[in-house]
Amino acid sequence: MQLAHMSRPFGLRLALWYATLFVVGAISIVYLTYALTAASLAQRDRQIIQSKLGEYSAVYDQGGVRALAGTVEAEQRTAPERLFVRVVGRSSEALVLSSAEGWEPSTLEIGSLQLADGTLVQVGKSTEARQDLLARFRATLGLITLSIVVVALTGGWLATRSAVQPIRRLGEVVRRIIATGQTDERVPVGRHDDAISELTQLFNAMLDRIEGLVRGMRGALDNVSHDLRTPLARLRGPAEIALAGPPDLGRYREALADCVEETDRVLVMLDTLMDISEAESGALALRREKVPLSDVVERAVDLYREVAEAKGIALAIEPSADVVVNGDRVRLQQVAANLLDNAVKYTPAGGRVVVDVARQGDRALLRVRDTGVGIPPDELPRIWDRLFRGDKSRAERGLGLGLSLVKAVVEAHGGAVSVTSEPGRGSTFVVSLPA
Amino acid sequence: MRALIIEDDQTIADFVARGLREAGFAVDVTADGEQGIQAALAGQHDVALVDLMLPKRDGLAVIDELRRRGRTTPVLILSARRSVDDRVRGLQAGGDDYLTKPFAFAELLARVQALVRRASRTAEPTTLTLADLTLDLLSRHVTRAGTIIDLRPREFALLEYLLRNAGKVVSKTMILSHVWEYNFDPQTNIVDVLVSRLRDKIDRPFEKKLLQTVRGVGYVLR
Repeated sequence: MQLAHMSRPFGLRLALWYATLFVVGAISIVYLTYALTAASLAQRDRQIIQSKLGEYSAVYDQGGVRALAGTVEAEQRTAPERLFVRVVGRSSEALVLSSAEGWEPSTLEIGSLQLADGTLVQVGKSTEARQDLLARFRATLGLITLSIVVVALTGGWLATRSAVQPIRRLGEVVRRIIATGQTDERVPVGRHDDAISELTQLFNAMLDRIEGLVRGMRGALDNVSHDLRTPLARLRGPAEIALAGPPDLGRYREALADCVEETDRVLVMLDTLMDISEAESGALALRREKVPLSDVVERAVDLYREVAEAKGIALAIEPSADVVVNGDRVRLQQVAANLLDNAVKYTPAGGRVVVDVARQGDRALLRVRDTGVGIPPDELPRIWDRLFRGDKSRAERGLGLGLSLVKAVVEAHGGAVSVTSEPGRGSTFVVSLPA
Repeated sequence: MRALIIEDDQTIADFVARGLREAGFAVDVTADGEQGIQAALAGQHDVALVDLMLPKRDGLAVIDELRRRGRTTPVLILSARRSVDDRVRGLQAGGDDYLTKPFAFAELLARVQALVRRASRTAEPTTLTLADLTLDLLSRHVTRAGTIIDLRPREFALLEYLLRNAGKVVSKTMILSHVWEYNFDPQTNIVDVLVSRLRDKIDRPFEKKLLQTVRGVGYVLR
């Protein structure tokens, strides 16, 4: 919304600035041209008058007033441009006059010369032709200036429109997305490799990212609602059966206990599913810090020590050089705990579970090896899937989410998980993280 | 002890109120933020339970208002939001503890009592006793009917936690977070295993069984 209100005045402002600068420049040039022309025309007239004065004074010196009057009269008849000439004697009477009418000082450029005997010779040249020429020149310049203004305004408008156009297109797309919520639209990228194209590309890239996140979250929501149906059915079943039967306090207590236990399972499942979905879609907030992997392993082993002991499994950490990773401590502990949970669960009494930490190039490895039942080759690729439970694992208690969470969290850290297994001999799970 | 519940969900408010009354609390219930603030300012409550999503004034605003008016009543926040950020925001606003819905009542009760205890600062006992079972916190000796029982550190921690909450049911989640300081639910029955080992040591040789399982809820020493 903001962009639309801003781009119009912005475009107009840009156009006006452009036009104003252009017009001011043009007018100064025009004015200068006019002033120079006018000045040089006046200069030429003055030169003509000066040379005539020189000529007349020479004639007067040689032949006196009579000779001068003869020359003037002859010139009046033959010269292409008529000059006004007046010779005034010492007694202020006009001795020679080219013609009585037309001596109108306001329309003449006049030059005077005082001769040695005190006689004053004056030559006047009409400025009418000059003024005429300048008037025509002014009219032409006016027209030129006007067309410059028009060109400047149109050009400015066109130029800024083409500059603002991509911004406006961007704005339109954004407005449509806000209105419809459809993030699959993209702004066409201009042909030129300029700042606006770059902005458009960045904007499209941002939309790609948002769309990915939104799609991830939608998918997660679909999955969660699907995955919750089964446990909810298990929750509802016992309650319904208890209510349908004859009143019996013992049965009721059983059913209620079932419901509470199932509710807790649903809750754990919901939390785990949300964690997995968030990790997969990149929405999981990781509180990264420097975490020594040996700490993580020790905490997990500590958690499972009693369980392993009760089951008759040797649980050990293989000593190794420590590796520090940049990760979310709690999440990494969850990863280690889930891997141990898995190993302890599928290792029979008398077996061994060994955990170790190692560095391999620029990777930090966390390995959990067990001497358990192993995983059949056809099940190997599917063990990371949500809610997948292999044939052997169905007998065990669990949600089928532990390994999915491990994979999702490790990948959210930029790491990878892998597994090798020999049915009947045991499995090795490897988590590889950027060190 | 007097508790104030500020919660707009009638069902939750009722069941929490009933549970607290059974545990010996006098309980006031209000259903929106405005009433909640009025009630909290008017009465002398030992603890307040505040939902975050409330009509009129939300939970954070309620806590903020109480704190600005100088009330130090301990506040337990109840919320359906489970993210760490929400938890931090709640505690920063002046809440004293945070419990995510849905919760086990046993856990709610334990936290409410812990808040009241902390506020009243009763002297810490150095021995915990139930019937003929005694746990000495200083010497770390456990005896039952005069017989010394040898416990591993983790078993000792579990027994200590159960004794501190003697007579009250504690959930597996509570045990996990107090004994292992572990705040997510591992899928194996870690708690069951430790409980059964403890039971072997403190109950099996004796006639009267003290450590009981309450199915679906948790464990209790009584």
